[in-house]
Amino acid sequence: MSSSKLTERIYAYLGFHSVEKSGETDAAILTCLDELKEIAHFRYKYKFFNTPPEFLKKEPYTSYLRGSSGVIVAVMTLGGEVDARIKFLGRTHAAKALVFDACASAYLEHLSDEYEKTLGDNLSYRFCPGYGGSSVEDLKFIFKILSPEKIGVTLSDANYMLPSKSMAGVIAVGGALQKTCGSCIVADNCKYLKGGVKCYGSEKK
Amino acid sequence: MLRLGEKVTVFDGGMGSELEKLGFDGCPEELNITHPEVIKEIHRSYSCADCIMTNTFGLNKIKYKGKYPIKELALKAVENARAAGKKVIFDIGPTGAMIEPLGTMTFDEAYEAFAEIVEYTKDLVDGYIAETFSDLYEIKACILAIKEHSDKPVFATMTFDSTGRTLTGSTPEIVANTLEGLGVDALGVNCSAGPKELTGVVESFLKYSGVPVMVQPNRGLPVLKDGKTQYVLDIEEFDYYIEKFIESGVSVVGGCCGTTPEFIKRISRFSGQAVKPRTVENATVVNSATKAVTIDGVKICGERLNPTGKKKLKEALLAGDLDYLVDEAVAQQEAGADILDLNVGLPQLDEKTVIVEALKKVQEYVDLPLQIDSSDKCAIERGARYYNGIPLINSVNGEDEVMDAIFPIAKKYGAVVLGLTMDGSGVPKTAKERFEIAKRIVERAQSYGIPRHKIMIDTLVLTASAEQRLVKETVEALRLVQSLGVKTALGVSNVSFGLPNRGLLNKTFLTMAMTCGLNMPIMNPLDGEMTGAVKAFAVLSGEDENSENYIGIYKDFAGAVTTVKTAKVEHIRGANLYDCIKNGIKSQAADLCKKELETSDPMSVVNGVLIKALEEVGRLYDEGKLFLPQLVSSAEAAKCAFEVVGERLPKGIAKKGKIVLATVKGDVHDIGKNIVKVVLESYGYEVADLGKDVPPQKVVDACRKFKPLAVGLSALMTTTVKSMAETVTALKQDGCKCPVFVGGAVLNDEIAQKIGANYYTKDALEFVKVLEKLN
Repeated sequence: MSSSKLTERIYAYLGFHSVEKSGETDAAILTCLDELKEIAHFRYKYKFFNTPPEFLKKEPYTSYLRGSSGVIVAVMTLGGEVDARIKFLGRTHAAKALVFDACASAYLEHLSDEYEKTLGDNLSYRFCPGYGGSSVEDLKFIFKILSPEKIGVTLSDANYMLPSKSMAGVIAVGGALQKTCGSCIVADNCKYLKGGVKCYGSEKK
Repeated sequence: MLRLGEKVTVFDGGMGSELEKLGFDGCPEELNITHPEVIKEIHRSYSCADCIMTNTFGLNKIKYKGKYPIKELALKAVENARAAGKKVIFDIGPTGAMIEPLGTMTFDEAYEAFAEIVEYTKDLVDGYIAETFSDLYEIKACILAIKEHSDKPVFATMTFDSTGRTLTGSTPEIVANTLEGLGVDALGVNCSAGPKELTGVVESFLKYSGVPVMVQPNRGLPVLKDGKTQYVLDIEEFDYYIEKFIESGVSVVGGCCGTTPEFIKRISRFSGQAVKPRTVENATVVNSATKAVTIDGVKICGERLNPTGKKKLKEALLAGDLDYLVDEAVAQQEAGADILDLNVGLPQLDEKTVIVEALKKVQEYVDLPLQIDSSDKCAIERGARYYNGIPLINSVNGEDEVMDAIFPIAKKYGAVVLGLTMDGSGVPKTAKERFEIAKRIVERAQSYGIPRHKIMIDTLVLTASAEQRLVKETVEALRLVQSLGVKTALGVSNVSFGLPNRGLLNKTFLTMAMTCGLNMPIMNPLDGEMTGAVKAFAVLSGEDENSENYIGIYKDFAGAVTTVKTAKVEHIRGANLYDCIKNGIKSQAADLCKKELETSDPMSVVNGVLIKALEEVGRLYDEGKLFLPQLVSSAEAAKCAFEVVGERLPKGIAKKGKIVLATVKGDVHDIGKNIVKVVLESYGYEVADLGKDVPPQKVVDACRKFKPLAVGLSALMTTTVKSMAETVTALKQDGCKCPVFVGGAVLNDEIAQKIGANYYTKDALEFVKVLEKLN
C-alpha cells in the first residue's frame, strides 16, 4: 500500500469522510507515523491448514472459505509499547492521541497486508472473528491453536485481545474470494465504503 | 547439590517438540496422567543432563482448564521427571493472561496461581524454573510466589525478540537488574530464537548480572517446510554457540523448542566445568518495566508527586482523584525528569493502600522509575511489592530501628535505598559527622546483604535562612561520602526557604552541589532554569560527550523560541480567546484567558467567549466541517481556559458539577470515553474517571461518593454490553437517581432502552448537549 493509501485509511478511521482534510491533521499523521515506526514491534504468528479446523466449519466461515484449498489462521500485533504511547498522549495531547490511535490501527493493517504478501499469491482478505455475523467467541479457538502469547498477545475473558493494537484473522488460500471490497462480507454495511474509502483499492461489485 | 556459579550445569531440551514427533498434539500437561510412560521415556532420554524440567509449562489455574485436578497433575509430573534419576526442576510458565494495566488480571491473581503449584510441590522437587515469561511484572509475581512458599533454588528466564527486548519492552539490563534484585539463583533467556540470534542478549546478561546466567535457546529460527514449522539447525552449530557462551561466563545451559536428546547429550560435555570468571558492572540502577536509569553523572528526581506544601495535590489525593497525580507525573516526564519521587503520606489516608493505587496508576502512564517515599514501613513494603521493576526507597537514616525495618524490605525486593545522614539526635552540624552516619548506614546495609551500589546517601540540605553556615557542610559531606562508593542525593530546593528569589538560590546551590559530586537532585523538573543547569553541568563536567545532548536540546535556542512564538502569534494574530479555542491552540489558551479577564468578569468570559466558541466548534463538527481531532483540540484549549477562570471564581461556582465516567467491566477500550471526558471538562464539568474494565460495584460506590449529575458508561464490544446492563441494574437497585448515559460502537437507542439506560448519545458532543438541556 502506498503512503497516500495509508493516509487515506487513517483519515477514514478518524471519521473524515466527505470533508476537506486539514493541513494540521496531515502534519500530525506524519509525526505519528514516524513515532509509530520507532516504537511498534510488529509480530505475526500463523498456522496453515489443508482442511479447516473445526471452529471454521460453520457459517459465515464456510461461505468465506468455499472454493479454497487451505486456510491460514493468524494473530498479529504492534506490541504493548504502542498502547503505552496512546495512553501517555491521552494525558498530554488528547487530539494527538486520537490521531495516533487511528494511525496505529491503519499501520497494523498495512504491515499485516505486506506480511501476507510473503505467504503466497492466492490469498483472500483477512476475515476477523466478530465481523460479518461471526462471533468474537471464536477468538478462543484461534488462541488455542496458535498460542499467540508467544508474540505477546493475550485474550481477556471478554474476548478482547491485548495489546489493543492486535488482530486475529482467518485467510482463505487458493481459489477463494480475492481481496476486493466487492467480495467482502461486510461490504453492504461498511461505513468506510459508504464514505468512499476502499480497504482493498478495488471496485465494489 | 548444584554449585551454580562455580560449575557449569546442563538442563534438558525440548519437550513439546519431542511430543509432537510422537504425534501428541493435545494438552501436554495431561499426558503426565494419561501417558506417564511416554513422558518418563522423554525425561529418561535427557538423563545426560544435570537437571530435568517437569512437563508442567502450562500448569496453573489461570491457563489450565482441563479435567484433572492441578495437584494431581503436578505430583504425577514430578514423579515422571524423577524417572531420569537427575535433579528435578519444576517448570512454571506464564498464565497466558496479561496483568493490569496492560491486561485485566491482577498481580495477586497471578501470584496466587503460581503459589498454588509451588505449595503442592515444595517438598518434592530440587528447584523451580520460571521460564518463557515475556512480562516482567508477571515473572515478578511468579518469583515472589516461589520464594515465599519454598526455599529451593529459583531459575528465571524470559524470552526476547529480534530487537533484544522482551515482548513487553524490557531490555536484558532491566530483566537482569529486576530478577537479580528479587534474589533468583540464576537468570537469563530461553526460547526466543536460536543461539546465534541470542548472542547480544546473553552478552548483556553477563555484563549486568552478578548472579549466574542461564541460556536455553531454540534449535535456531523455525522454517516453514511442507506447511509445517520445523527447526533445522544442526548439532554442530548449536554446540559451537553453547561453547562460546560458556567461554564468556554462562553458568547454566540447555535447550528449548526443537532441541532433542542428541543436542543435550552433545552439550552435556560441559557439565561440571568451572564457570569462567567475568566482569560485572555493579552500577546503581533503578528501573521500571521499560526504562532503566543508571545513577551516574547527574539524574533528576522529580519532587512534585508529594502533597507536602501542595494544596491541589493534597485535595486531589483526599478526594481519591489520582488523575491529578498522573498529570503531574506526565508533566515531569515531559520536562526531563529521570526518576519520580512518589509520596502520598497524609494523616487522613491509609497510606499503605493509597501508595499501591498511586504507583500502579502512575506506572500506567509514565515509564520513569519511581522513588517510593514514605516514613511508614508498611507503605514502603506494599509499594516495593506492587512496583513493576526496581524502585528507589526513600528512606532510611542512621537509627537502628529504621534500618532494621527497611533494609529487609529493600533486600527482598531488590530496591535501591536512600540513606539520610541523620539519626535520633537530628542532623549533625558537620560534614564529618554526617559522613560517619553514612558509613554506618552502608555497613548496616551490607550486614543485610545489600551491596554498596544499592545505597545512595542524602547529606541533607538545611535552609540558608536559618542555618546559613551549614550549607557548605552539606556540600562538603557530599564530597566525603563518595569515598564510600555510593551515589548521592539532595532535596536541593529546601535551601532557599524563607528567602526572596528562591529560584536563583536553588540554581546556584544546585551547581555548587553538582560540582561536589551530587548525582541525584530531588527537584522540580518543571523549573526550566534548574533542568537547564543540569544539562549545562553535563557539558562542563564532560559527561555530555561532545555536548551532544545539550546541542540536541538547545541547538535552535534563540531562533527557535522566537520562531515558535511568531508562528503561534501569527496564527491567531489580532485574535482573541474565542479564536484560540476555535482553532484549538492549547498552548495560548491560558494566557489569552488571563488577558480577557483583565477587561471582563469571569462569568462573561465563560458565557460570552468559551461557551460561544465551543458552540461554534460543535456546529462545525455537526456539519462535518471539523473533525474529531480538531474538536478535541478545541476542547483541550477550552479546558485550559476554564482552569484559569476557575481560579477567579468563588469555590463551587466554577464547576458545573460532577460526572462519573467508566468503561464497563471486561472492556479495556477507553479512547472514546477519554474523548467524552475532555469535551465534558471543556464545558466546565468535573469528571470522575473510573477508568476501564470497571466492575459495577465500583460505579455504584462512585455514585454514592460523588452524587454526580450523570453517569456515563462506555462499551465497545457486543460481549460487554451485558456487563453494561449489569452496571445499569446495579445503579438502579442502589437507588441511583441520576441519569445514566451509554455510548460506544455497539450501542444504539434500542439497546440503551433495553438495558435500562436513560440516554444513548452517539458522541461526546451529543452527551454534552443532552446534559446541558437537563441542567
